Order: sequence, then C-alpha cells, then structure tokens
Amino acid sequence: MVGLQAEMIRSELEEVVGTPNLSTDDTARLVYATDWFWLPQMWLDRGEKPRKPDYIVRPGNAEEVSAILQIANTYRIPVIPWGGGSGSQGGALSIYGGIILDTKRMNRIIEIDEKSLTVTAQAGINGAQLEWALNDKGLMLPHYPASANCATLGGYLSPRGTGTISTKYGKAEDLVLSMQVVLPDGHIMRTPVVPQHAAGPDFYRLFLGAEGTLGVITEATMQLDYLPEARLLRAVLFENLADAIEAGRQIMTRRLDPFVIRLYDPRSTASRVKKILGYELEGAYMVIGFDGDKDLAALQEQKAMEIILRFGAKDLGREPGESWWNHRYDFYYPPQSLKLPWMYGTTETVTTYDKIEKLYYAEKRAVEEGFKDRDIDFIGHFSHWFHWGVMVYTRFIIKNPPEDAQEAVRLHNRVWNTAMTAVLENGGMVNEHHGVGLKLSRYMRRQYGDAWPLLERIKKALDPNRIMNPGKVGF
Amino acid sequence: MSATAIENCRYCLMCRHAAPVGHVMHDETVTPHGIALVAASVNRGLLDWNPSSVDVLYAEPDTGNCRAHCVTDQRLPAAIAAIRAAVCAEGLAPPSVYQIHERLARTGSAFGERLASSGAADVALFVGDEAHNLRPACVTSVYALLRAIRVEVAPIGIGASTGYMACSLGFPETARTQALACLEEIRAAGARKVLVLAPVDLFAFRKLYPERLDITWPPDIELVDLATFLAAQLAKGTLRLCPGSGDATYIDPTHAVRTPERFGPVRELCDAALGQPPRELFWRRDRAHPVGSTALQFSRPDIAEALTRARLEDARRTGASTLLCEDPGTLHHLERYASEYGLTIHGLFNTLATLTRA
Ligand SMILES: Cc1cc2nc3c(=O)[nH]c(=O)nc-3n(C[C@H](O)[C@H](O)[C@H](O)COP(=O)(O)OP(=O)(O)OC[C@H]3O[C@@H](n4cnc5c(N)ncnc54)[C@H](O)[C@@H]3O)c2cc1C
Repeated sequence: MVGLQAEMIRSELEEVVGTPNLSTDDTARLVYATDWFWLPQMWLDRGEKPRKPDYIVRPGNAEEVSAILQIANTYRIPVIPWGGGSGSQGGALSIYGGIILDTKRMNRIIEIDEKSLTVTAQAGINGAQLEWALNDKGLMLPHYPASANCATLGGYLSPRGTGTISTKYGKAEDLVLSMQVVLPDGHIMRTPVVPQHAAGPDFYRLFLGAEGTLGVITEATMQLDYLPEARLLRAVLFENLADAIEAGRQIMTRRLDPFVIRLYDPRSTASRVKKILGYELEGAYMVIGFDGDKDLAALQEQKAMEIILRFGAKDLGREPGESWWNHRYDFYYPPQSLKLPWMYGTTETVTTYDKIEKLYYAEKRAVEEGFKDRDIDFIGHFSHWFHWGVMVYTRFIIKNPPEDAQEAVRLHNRVWNTAMTAVLENGGMVNEHHGVGLKLSRYMRRQYGDAWPLLERIKKALDPNRIMNPGKVGF
Repeated sequence: MSATAIENCRYCLMCRHAAPVGHVMHDETVTPHGIALVAASVNRGLLDWNPSSVDVLYAEPDTGNCRAHCVTDQRLPAAIAAIRAAVCAEGLAPPSVYQIHERLARTGSAFGERLASSGAADVALFVGDEAHNLRPACVTSVYALLRAIRVEVAPIGIGASTGYMACSLGFPETARTQALACLEEIRAAGARKVLVLAPVDLFAFRKLYPERLDITWPPDIELVDLATFLAAQLAKGTLRLCPGSGDATYIDPTHAVRTPERFGPVRELCDAALGQPPRELFWRRDRAHPVGSTALQFSRPDIAEALTRARLEDARRTGASTLLCEDPGTLHHLERYASEYGLTIHGLFNTLATLTRA
C-alpha cells in the first residue's frame, strides 16, 4: 500500500499502539509473510516473492485491538490476528495484505485462582511460559501441544487445538471457562463466567474455531489441574493396526482414562519410532500412559494392560514409553523435522470408531496410489482418543517435489484434494486440531453442506465489511 | 556451519519460549526464527542488507538462550556473528558498531582502559573488562575474599576484553588478536590455574575460543569459575564467614544459561550471604534472561534497555527490595534503572567480603 491513504492508516495505527509497536519496513513484513504452512515457506524457499502484510501492529490490550479494528473498518482493509505464527494451515497469512495484529504484547497472567483451579491470561501469552508460571505453583494447563514453546493461548483456542494429553483432559476448547473477545466492529465483550449453564445458547463457542474470522480473542480463563503425582507410561507392540485400534476403543469406552494413547501405524513404527526413539520394530507401536494419584493410575494401567494383552500385544515395558514421553517433541527440531525442499502435509482427521479404520485405509490407498510416481510416503498415528472415536494424524511426504514453485503448488493441491476427498467421502472431518486456515478453506462448504449458510449469515452479521482474516475458514 | 544453522533455524520456532529479545520486544522479527529467516531471505535475493534488515541482524543478544534450549544444538549465535562479520566487512553495519570496534581495537577494552599486568603466581585471577572498568569495587572485594582464604593470585586481563565483544559485533580478527593477547598474558603469569571472575569470560575461554576463533585453551592450565571456586572453599570450611542475614532476590547473570554448572554454587554463596536462600526470579537458572550487558548495548541500546528493565520488573514482582548478583556487567546495567523500580543492587562478592573473618 502506498500514498496518502497508506500514510493515514500508518499514522492512525501508530497513534493507537505507539511507534515501537508498529512495523512497516520490508524486513518485518517479510518475516510476517509466512506462518508454518508449507506453501508460503516453500514459496520463500524457492526465492519467490510473497504477498506481505502492509502493517504489523502489536497492541497491548483489548482497547487497542478495538481501535485497530475500527481503523480497519474505516479503510476496509483486512486484519489478520497473529499469535505465534505456528499454525500449519496458513491461517495467519495476509493473502490480501492488510494489518497483521500480533497478540504477543498481550502476554500478562491476570490471575491464578488456586481454589477454582483457573488461570486468566491475555491471549498472546506464550504457552510454555504460561506453563512455567503454573508449574511454579504445582499446577498445569493440561493442553500440551508440541508447539507449546512457540504458540500462544489465543492460538491454542482459535483453531481448536489438541495437545498430547487431550485423551484424558480434553481439547483446548474444553478447558475454557470464559473469554474476552473483540468483535470485528471493535465492540469488546466477555462471555459468561462459566461455560456449563442453562442461561441461553452456547454462543461463546463461535470464537473457538473461527481462527480470527469473527473477532480477536484477547483474554481467556482456563481450567487447570494439579501437576500429577505420577505419570506411568509404557509401550506395547501389536501385530496389526486393527487390533490396536480395537484395544484403544475398549480402553476408552470402559473409561479407563489414559492421558495418552499414541498408536503408530506400521509404517510410522518402522520409520519414526526408529528414527526418534531408536527402536527397530515391526507392527503397530503404542505408548499408553496413566497419571494422577499413583495407586489409581497403577490400577487403571493394570486394567488397560489386561485388554491390551488379550489382543496378543507384546509388553515392551516402561523404558520405551518413558523415552517417548521425554523425547516426544525432539522430532520437531531441525534437522530431525520435516524439511524443505520436501513437500509434506498433515491431513489429520477424526471420526467415530465404526468408521475410522475404513477412513484411514481409504485415504492411505488414495494418496499412495494417486501419487505412486512421486514415491509418496504416507504415515499416520492415532493420538487423540475420545469416548466415541479417534483422531488419525496422517501425513504425506514427497522427498523430490518439483523444483518449480508453481508446479509444486499444483502438486500440493492435488495431493490435498485426493486426501480430503477420501476423508469427506468416509465420514471424516477435514481437520481435528490444526484448524482450517487457508489450506482447508475451500472444503468448508462440502464439509458443512446445508449447515454452511448459517455460518455465512453469522459471518455477515458480525463482520459486514469482511475485514477479519479474509480467505480463511471458508469465508 | 553458519549456513546450516541459518537454514535449520529459519522455520524452527522451538526456542521461542526461551528467547529473550522476542519476549521483551513482542516481535516475531527479532526471534531466532525471524533473524534466521531474514538471513536466509538475503541469501535467496528476497531482501538485502539495508538499515532495517541490519537492525534485525544486530538484535540477537548472543547470550546462548536459543542454543541452551535446542535439542539439536544449532549454533545460531555463532552463525549470526559470522554474518555480522560479512556485513561489517561490506561497511553495512550500524555506525555505532564501527565506533565501538575502533575503541576495542585501539585499547583492548570496550569500557575504559586495559592495564598491563606484571605479577606471576601459580593462580591467576582473570579480572576482565567489565569488572575493572565498570565495577572496580567488585574486584576489591574479590581480592579480600581470596586473601581470606590465603590464595595469592596474579591479576591478569585487567580491563581486557577477551574477544567476545569484538566477535559478537562481527570482528573475528580483532577477537582473535584479543584472545591471543589474553592467552599470552596468562602464559606470562606462569599460572597453572586461572580463576575467572565474569561468566562472559568463562564462556569466551571455554566455548567461544574453540568454536568461533579456532583457538584452544592451553590444556595444562586449569580454568576455574571464581564463584564455583569460592563455593567449594565455603563448603570445605576454608572460606569462613560471619553469619549473613538479609532478604534479597538473586538474578542469574547474562550468559548464565551458557554455564549451567554455576547455578548451584552461586546460590550456595547467596545462602551464605543472606543466611537464607535468595528469592528467585521467574526467569531463572536454565531460563535466565540476560540484561543489556552484551553487544546490544552498542548496536541496539533500545533492546539492551528493554532486557534490563524486564529483569528489574521480574525482580520487583518477587517482593524483595534488594537484588544480588555476582557479575559486574549485569550489576552495572541493573544499577542504571534500579531506583525506578524501588530496588537496590548489591554485588554478591561485595556482600561476602563484608562477612569474611580471619
Ligand atoms: C512444531 C509444531 C508442532 C505443533 N503441534 C501441535 C499440536 O500438538 N497440537 C495442535 O493443536 N497444534 C499443533 N501445531 C499447530 C499450531 O501450533 C497450533 O495450531 C497453535 O495452537 C497455533 O498457535 P499460534 O499462537 O502460533 O497461532 P497462529 O499460527 O499465530 O494463528 C493460528 C490461527 O489462529 C488465529 N489467531 C491467533 N491468535 C488469535 C487470537 N488471539 N484471536 C483470534 N484469532 C487468533 C490466526 O489468525 C490464525 O488463523 C504445531 C505447530 C508446530 C509448528
């Protein structure tokens, strides 16, 4: 953006946040031009020019956020909330330019209530830093995503994230008591003090999963837990995936309450388990854990092991389970992690137990057969278990993608179309925890069918100028 | 090596929680990821080294916080120092960087004078630049403590920069010259053991020399951290102190995360100085953040000040009115703004020296 209008917007934003909290230089704009989505990273990696935001602002409170949104409405320019930029769906990309609203200056803990076990914090607080503060008091926020080091509280909630221990403690959204949200027109509102009541509809959930398209979350009160007295982990090896899923289902439906069940498909067992943990195994590797009171956890573990052993699984003991727990995030550190120029994508999905196996194999077949010529690798693990079903974290990797950036975009989109078509045709959701962002935006109408117009109407009512994060979540 | 770390870190966000500058500036651009992405983008022709990108390059504190939290030990600070060297050579660094380099090259000190040392002893005390030029009282107290345990030392490196500052700013050749001068001085003193007063110098001797300057510390000379040495003397009963009393917050010094083995010993000294354990900051031990006592004070004084103020704010929240630290550079920077936070700064060695008894 250039000229008088650009300068007017700049000076108005500067008035709101102060000079040190506004960036318009090329360097900052380039850094904010990509989040953790493969496409923009690849684009930059190949030396292609990205679409940059015009302004980056770092507001310190809800009032400043409100003023920024009002300016954006006046000039009809996009506003894209940005937490840690760790989202893998392109949700924080400024595809039409506009204002990146970085929330990281809103990083205060407002209150830790040790009686109700809640924390109220500003949305830009870093996940690990929040956890450190809670741990100092013997508490934890039981949302442990692999991105806790880099993500923010608002970024946990906005795309409905899921952490490693969700199987017992729930998704990030299940831990919210209330939120402060700034609506697209700048109105600052707070949802009721508790989520479970009968005083009208559950509208606060609208902002969970909106990914910044319906407003900016500026504060949240979250449910905490005591740090567990014990964490009992062990690993087991199943001969086949079907038995392992069924064992997991029985453990869940009997409410044995594991805090983690991490089940690797045979391909992941042979590759990732070997690479990160160093075990060379054949079959389906499962790590299972119970936490809390030591005696209760031990009893739950014993009951679960009875089920597991009935399926003929081999008990590998505590060491590999503990080793997995201690190294569970190592995979994300370069050069261990997925890296460019590889092409990769996490096509994770969730559905009920009756459909999950069929869905997994349908997606696997479609992707593997569809891109055989590309030597595509398709791996998966089942890591967030519910009473009714399970999430499968599937991922494709192409180690020799086209060098040409445009070609790479085409191939990337074709793989995604193939995977998502298989998911949708087999009763899955296009995503379980990374969110929709830009990546999955184009599947939202298909996903929601006759329910989609309702979401459209809500969007129109709340954000008539469509300033909030355009191009994302189907809007 | 430097290209590898830049490529590996450009899209890695895993040390964000521990990175001090991003935390106080709230800005993605000045996180390890942001700085690496800028450098990688220059390599790809998407940016050039201009005042704004160079400003980002000079925002990295070189205090090792990213590396201390990196599972795969990416040497990003060294990689950034190497890029700064190229930028300096092109004449593209900020003017303040050349100014301080001119002084470093001319005097061997960033903060004042470098004195020649002449004594010889089995044990040498490496005083360093900050202690001699910024907190001379600290040096006096250290002598008193060493006298109390009857250790005779030859002071060396009085006012001397070890090369850390020059290297961090992007002048490895100057750094090498200074490093070799320090080693020469140590040899000339005939010492078998060198006590090092400041954590920054300990880091320079142990890690920076071999990793960035290709210089090895002489294997026949023992390198010992002064605080660790004093804590051992205290435990042995050689260092005898009157019971201390007081309520203070301990602040881990700049570079603390590079010398984690000091966390325990230095707190033992605090216990002795206060008669009770010190209060602790939120940003402590392996997550300790620096103050502005790095090259940032010359290249990005705005960030240096923000770092120092953040530590003071953290200290204020602990409820104590006194701050304790052993590091001269850290003390000097805290002192600048402490009164605004209602805090008094005490040197740990000074406090201990007042408690010595025959
Ligand atoms: C190494 C790595 C591991 C990961 N592991 C996990 C995992 O285990 N579980 C998981 O769920 N995810 C994971 N992710 C994905 C990602 O980290 C999460 O989605 C994370 O919660 C995003 O947080 P963020 O603060 O970085 O958000 P961003 O990436 O900045 O934003 C994500 C989306 O939310 C919007 N947004 C951000 N803040 C706000 C706000 N305050 N108000 C309104 N909208 C907002 C943005 O506009 C964007 O659409 C991982 C990512 C990485 C890089």
